[in-house]
Amino acid sequence: MVPTRIKISLLLSLLTVTSLGVMAQNNFSPYSQFGIGDVEDGFYNRTTGLGNTGIAYRSNRYLINNNPASFSALANQYFSMEMGIRGSFIQYSGSPVTPASTQSGDITFRRLVMGIKVTKNWGSSIGLVPFSTQNYEFNVPYYLQGTANEVANNYYQGHGSVNKAYWANSYEFFHHVSLGVDAGYIFGQLNQKNIIQNLSNGASETSTQTNVNLQNLYMTYGLQVYSNLGKHWSFVLGGVYSQKADLLASPQTVVLASDSSTLQNEQLAERYLTLPNAYGAGLSLTHNEKYTWVADYRYQDWGSLHQNTYQGQGYAIASSERASLGFEISKKRIFYNQRVEMNFIQTGLYYGNSYLQINGKQIKDRGVTFGFGANSLKSPLAYNIVFQYGIKGTTANNLIRENYANVTFILNYGSIWYTKGKKFD
Amino acid sequence: MTNNKFLRKELLFPIFSSLLALFFVAGCQKQPDLLFGSTFTDQGKGANIILVDTNTVVMSTVLVDSTATSGTGYLQVGSYNDDYLGNITSRAYWQVNPPGNLPTLDPRSTTYDSIGLVLFAKTGNPYYGDTTVYQRYVVNQIDTLYQEANGQFGWYSHDSLPLGPDLGSATVRIFPNLNTLLNLSNTSQGTGDTVRIPMDKALGQQLYNMIYNKSDTITNPTKWQNWFHGLCLSPGGSGNGSNVANLIYGFKDSAIMRIYYRQNAVISSGAYIDFPIGNKGFQFNNVITHYGGNGGYQNKPVDSLVRPTRNPQIPPATVSSRTNHVSFVQSIGGLNVKLSFPYITSIALRADYIGLLRASLIVRPVPGSFSTTWRLPPAVGIFSTDQNNLPLAAIPAAGLAGAQTGALLLDYFHPLNTEYTYDVTGFIKQALLNSSPNALQTGVYLTIPSPANTGAFNRLIIADQSYPVDQRITLNVYYISLYPHQ
Repeated sequence: MVPTRIKISLLLSLLTVTSLGVMAQNNFSPYSQFGIGDVEDGFYNRTTGLGNTGIAYRSNRYLINNNPASFSALANQYFSMEMGIRGSFIQYSGSPVTPASTQSGDITFRRLVMGIKVTKNWGSSIGLVPFSTQNYEFNVPYYLQGTANEVANNYYQGHGSVNKAYWANSYEFFHHVSLGVDAGYIFGQLNQKNIIQNLSNGASETSTQTNVNLQNLYMTYGLQVYSNLGKHWSFVLGGVYSQKADLLASPQTVVLASDSSTLQNEQLAERYLTLPNAYGAGLSLTHNEKYTWVADYRYQDWGSLHQNTYQGQGYAIASSERASLGFEISKKRIFYNQRVEMNFIQTGLYYGNSYLQINGKQIKDRGVTFGFGANSLKSPLAYNIVFQYGIKGTTANNLIRENYANVTFILNYGSIWYTKGKKFD
Repeated sequence: MTNNKFLRKELLFPIFSSLLALFFVAGCQKQPDLLFGSTFTDQGKGANIILVDTNTVVMSTVLVDSTATSGTGYLQVGSYNDDYLGNITSRAYWQVNPPGNLPTLDPRSTTYDSIGLVLFAKTGNPYYGDTTVYQRYVVNQIDTLYQEANGQFGWYSHDSLPLGPDLGSATVRIFPNLNTLLNLSNTSQGTGDTVRIPMDKALGQQLYNMIYNKSDTITNPTKWQNWFHGLCLSPGGSGNGSNVANLIYGFKDSAIMRIYYRQNAVISSGAYIDFPIGNKGFQFNNVITHYGGNGGYQNKPVDSLVRPTRNPQIPPATVSSRTNHVSFVQSIGGLNVKLSFPYITSIALRADYIGLLRASLIVRPVPGSFSTTWRLPPAVGIFSTDQNNLPLAAIPAAGLAGAQTGALLLDYFHPLNTEYTYDVTGFIKQALLNSSPNALQTGVYLTIPSPANTGAFNRLIIADQSYPVDQRITLNVYYISLYPHQ
C-alpha cells in the first residue's frame, strides 16, 4: 500500500503541473522587455508576509530560500514540501497607457520546493523557483522602408521565463553557526516576436521570432549566526553572497512569411549575459519565541557589468538594491512538552531600486505586505496567505507606474520521515 | 469543553473557494493597452519590409491585325477622331432574311408605300464618344456574295465587303442613357427606341412586287442570298474628314428592313412586311483604323506602331519610346500592351532579400487622355505572356482564384488619382527565379476582357516611366529583408 505521505506528495506535484497548465494569461510587464526581464525578488515562502525579509530567518518547518544556511534549522528528520501560487492585479498609469484599458490580472505558479533534515546538523532542499520573467506586448507604427506614406503596424511581443532549479545544503556548526550553499542551475527561454502587420486587416506580413535559451550554474552562499540574548530574546545574523555568473545565451531567429512558411531559420552566435555579484545582510530579533523583527538589505552589482552585456537601446543598467523590514507574531502552544506553532500573522515593508534605468530614471519598487498562516493540527498541511500592495515605476519621464496588489497562497506539507520507528528525539 | 480557536478544517473550503474565485476573475482580465517601448526597440534586428518601386518596366504596344467582331450582338456604327489613336470608323454588315410568311397582296386593296431600315437603340446599348452631336447613318447594299472565302473562319474587324450605292440615310441624335420607359423617345426622331432610315423607294417597290408575285427569289433562301447579299450601315462622312460626329453607337442586332404598304378599305390602314437580320453569327463590324500608317499617317503616336505584315505572324510589339512614351489598350482595334521587367531578378540577388511579400502593378492613364466622353475601359485584364506576344493564363491575385480586371479607381476631378491596380505577386515570385533564356521576353499582357474586347471602343493610354513618378506605370515589389547577422 502506498503511504499517505507519498500520496500527498504526488498530489502536490500534480497540482503544480496542473497550475502550470492553466496560467495562460500573464500580466503585461512593460519593463520586462529590458535585460533578462523582471528579476524576481519574491520568495513565495513564509517570509513573503514579511516583505520577503528573511536572510536572517530560520524555521523548523518552512523552507526559507532567502538564505541557504537556513535549511539546517529544519526539525530533525523532517520532510517539508511547499508550493506557492500568486494572483496579481495591476493598475497601470502614465502617458503610454491607453485610458480604455489600464488593468490586468493573472495567476501564476511561483514555486515548488522540498527540503529535509538529512542528519541532525545537515539540512537539504531542492526545488524550482522563478528567476526572471518577460511578458510584454506593444504596437509601433512602422513606415515601410522605401516609402514615406505606407504604414504597417509593428507588433512587439515578448514572453518567457528564466527559472532556477537548485539543490541547497546547509550545515550547522557549534549550535550557533550555519553555513549553506545553494547550487542553482539557471535555465529558461525568452521568446521575442516582432510581427509586421497589415494595418487594414491586421494580418501578419512577416514575423521574426527570436528565442534565447539561457543556462548556467548560479551559486549562492549563505551564513547565519544565531544565539539567545538572555532568557527572552534571541537573534540571528545572516549574510548571503551570489557569485557572478555568465549565462550562456543561445539565440535562434526564425523569420516567417505571411503564409507562415519559414523564410529563415538561423542559429545566431552564442553570447553571455552576466549575472553580477550579489550581496545581502539581514538581522532578526525574536522575543519570547513570539515576536520577531527582521530586516534585510540586498545589493546586486549590475553597475559593474559592461553595458554591452545587455543589448538594446535607450536604457541602462544600474546596481540594484533593496531594503525591507518585517514583523511577525507567532502563536504557539505546548503539546507533549513541545512548543507547537498554531498560527502567525506578519507584516512587512520594502523599498528597492531595480537594475533598470530608463529615460534617466531608475525603476523603483516599494510596498507593504500582510500575511497570515496556520498549521493544521489534524493534517500535515500548513497554509499561508499573503496580501501585498506595491508601486513599481513612475509616471515621470514618460514611464509607466504599476500599482499592484498580490495575493500569495503558500501550501506547506510537512512530515517526519526516516524515523526508523523513532518519532521524536 | 475546549474551544479550538485555531484554523479548522471547515475553514479550508471558504479559503479555497475564495482563492478559486480570485483566480477566475484574474483569468478574465483584459490586458492593458500600452504604447510603451517603441523608443527602446532595435528595429534592425528583425525582418523588415522593403518596397522597391523603381523597377524598370518596359512597355510595348502589341498590334494584332484583327479581332473577331462577328456575332457580338451589336451593329457598331460611327466614327471618331481620337487625339491619340487617330480616326476610327466602324461599319456593320449583316445578311437580311426574306419574310418568313408572305402576306397576300392584292393590287385592288393594297398599295406599296415605302421601305426603311429600323434600328433599335435600346437603353444600355454600347456607345463611345460624344452623344451631343447628330450622326448621319448611311445604308448600302452589299455588292458581293456574303460568304466566307476559302480558309476563312468567321468575320474579323479588318474584313469588309464591296458596297453598292447608298440606299438611304438619316441624321439622328441618340440619347443612349435615357430610359424609354420614362421618356417617349431616346432618339431625336421621336420614334421611341428606334432609329428609322428611309431607303430607296425603287428597291422597296421591287421587293413588294416580288412578294406579290411570290417570286422564288423571295421564297427560296439561297436564291434570295444570291440576289440580296446583305446590308451595310456606315457613318456618314466617315474617313479622315472633319465632319466626323465623334460617336460610335451599337444598335441591337435585331435590325429590320421593313416595307410599308397600305390596305385600302372604308378606313385605310398601314401594314408592313419585315425582312429581319439573317444569320447573326455572320453579322460583323468592320473597324477601320490607321495604326502604323495603315491608310495614311495622321501625325499621331500610333503612326509608329509596327504592323503585322503577314499571316500568321507573331503580333509585333512596339516599345513605348517609339510611340511618344505611351502605349495603348483597345482590343477591338487590335491594341494590347505587353510589360516586361528586365531587371526584376536583381531584387532576389540583394544581400538582405529573404522572400517576396507581395507585388503590385499600378497602371496609370496619361492625364488628360480620358474624360467622361473618352471613357476608360472599366476593366482591363492581365495575363502572362511570352515571346509570342499573346495572352496566356490569366494572372490571379495572390490567394484568390479568377482573373483580375484592374479595380479601376476613377477620379475625373483628380485625374492623377486614376489608376488600375493588379496583384502580381504570383507572377513576380516566378519571375524573380526565372533563369530561362526567354525570361527577358516573358511579361504581363494587358488586354480588354471578353466580351468588351470585341464590343467596346473604350481605350486606355498608358504613361511609361519617362513620365513623373505619380503619373507613370509602376511595379511595386515588397520584399522581406533580413540583413545577415554578424
